[in-house]
Amino acid sequence: MENDRIPPERRRFFLTIMLSGIGAVLAAAAAWPVWQYLAPRKGVGEEEKVTIPRDQVPLGRTYFFTFRGHPAVVLQEKAGVFIALTAVCTHLGCIIKWLPEKGEYECPCHAGRFSSSGTVLGGPPPKSLESYPVSVQDDSIVIG
Amino acid sequence: MAWRKKIMDWLDLRLGIRDLLEQNLTKYLLPRNINVWYTLGAVLITLFVLQFVTGILLLIYYVPNPAEAFQSVSRIMNEVPFGWLIRYLHVVGSNIIVIALLLHMLSVLFMKSYYRPRELTWLSGFLLFNLSLGLCLTGYLLPWSQLSFWATTVATDAAGAIPLIGDEVVRFLRGGAMVGDVTLGRFFALHVMGMPLLLGLLVGLHLFCVRRAGVSRPPFGADYETWEPQGSFRHQEHPGGIPFFPHYTTKDTAVIFFFLAALLGVVFFAPWLFLPPDALEPADPFVTPAHIKPEWYFLWAYQTLKIFPNKILGLGVQVGLMTFLALLPFIDRGPERRPARRPLFVACYVLGVLLIAGISVWGHYS
Repeated sequence: MENDRIPPERRRFFLTIMLSGIGAVLAAAAAWPVWQYLAPRKGVGEEEKVTIPRDQVPLGRTYFFTFRGHPAVVLQEKAGVFIALTAVCTHLGCIIKWLPEKGEYECPCHAGRFSSSGTVLGGPPPKSLESYPVSVQDDSIVIG
Repeated sequence: MAWRKKIMDWLDLRLGIRDLLEQNLTKYLLPRNINVWYTLGAVLITLFVLQFVTGILLLIYYVPNPAEAFQSVSRIMNEVPFGWLIRYLHVVGSNIIVIALLLHMLSVLFMKSYYRPRELTWLSGFLLFNLSLGLCLTGYLLPWSQLSFWATTVATDAAGAIPLIGDEVVRFLRGGAMVGDVTLGRFFALHVMGMPLLLGLLVGLHLFCVRRAGVSRPPFGADYETWEPQGSFRHQEHPGGIPFFPHYTTKDTAVIFFFLAALLGVVFFAPWLFLPPDALEPADPFVTPAHIKPEWYFLWAYQTLKIFPNKILGLGVQVGLMTFLALLPFIDRGPERRPARRPLFVACYVLGVLLIAGISVWGHYS
């Protein structure tokens, strides 16, 4: 027989390669739907705008809310001037708090300090807080 | 391959892995005339693992609360990527498991593999079968659809036939007078934690029994002789048999893929087979849909309750049949295993299967 000339080791190697290949294809076919099922959904809520009643944000005070899945904060810095920022510290992800007496944000975890517009004033945060567009429509503040 | 040898050497030094693999795979010999029916155990383990994995995935999005359960399942089906696939695999998989369980048990019955010394293997397998039906029943309620709600109402109501304590048993099963949020809570806990834990332990016991006693020889062929231990324990050896690996695992794999292909075939081409229209409506405790029926594997029990003039008699017949099957190895103790030499048994077997199938069909169309 022609096949008898092929040594058993080579036949076994061929079989191993073929089975590994088929196994890898099947594993990938099974893993893809599971990956998709578990992966966070892209694009969900990314166009979302948040409307907050204007009286919820008095002058010099802040209001915390969820924006596109993340904690965010809006501050009425001067009369009719609103600044919206992410409330997540850029250092290790803690939530910043507003210190009205100092007029700045502070991260309670490692004392990172941010200005009312989100720029780093001191401490370990590596970059400024992301800001969001704000518009005032009648008695509402629209963020996003 | 050098790296494979290095890994094996490392493990072998610490765990004696080569010896372990030889004893359980390459030098573990099975009867030469072993047949395809013996692969159903491996098929069932694969299907149970699939249920376990898809069940965990479903838990990520499922909310076990009557106000949100149906919507969360709808979300899995319609919004979560491949959620429909995960759920259909779980739903259809549970039905395929029941089919595989029935085939496994019927083949063991036909070949009288429960014969001494394998009574415990049969008994643990029989408990596994009942536990699987329990998992089906508890899982059925979770989507909180009209079908779930009313099928569970009918199924739990059947326990009311138990003399004296029937009503109390029904109340206990439901956690109240009617199926409601308490029922969902306890069925959920049983379905995702209590029963799977017990199932895992029982599968372990079952496999231990199979491995410890050794695989039984199929009772076919001219040279067949009944084997049983005399006096003390003895593992049944099969000198000159075929190795478990790679010979029999190849056959196992082939049948596993056959079942997976059947499962995917139903999932892709006929998923509605196990999800009738009532499964698409949210549960309404004030509106019972017309012709509510239990799942196909409970139809025989459902119809039996209808055939007999009173519930106690109907339930008694069911309990009697199940007890008889559970204790069969202790009742049928004759050494003859060859079906060709057991005409009375084969006649009862065929008639029994036809009777159960007939009653189920009757239940479906009644």
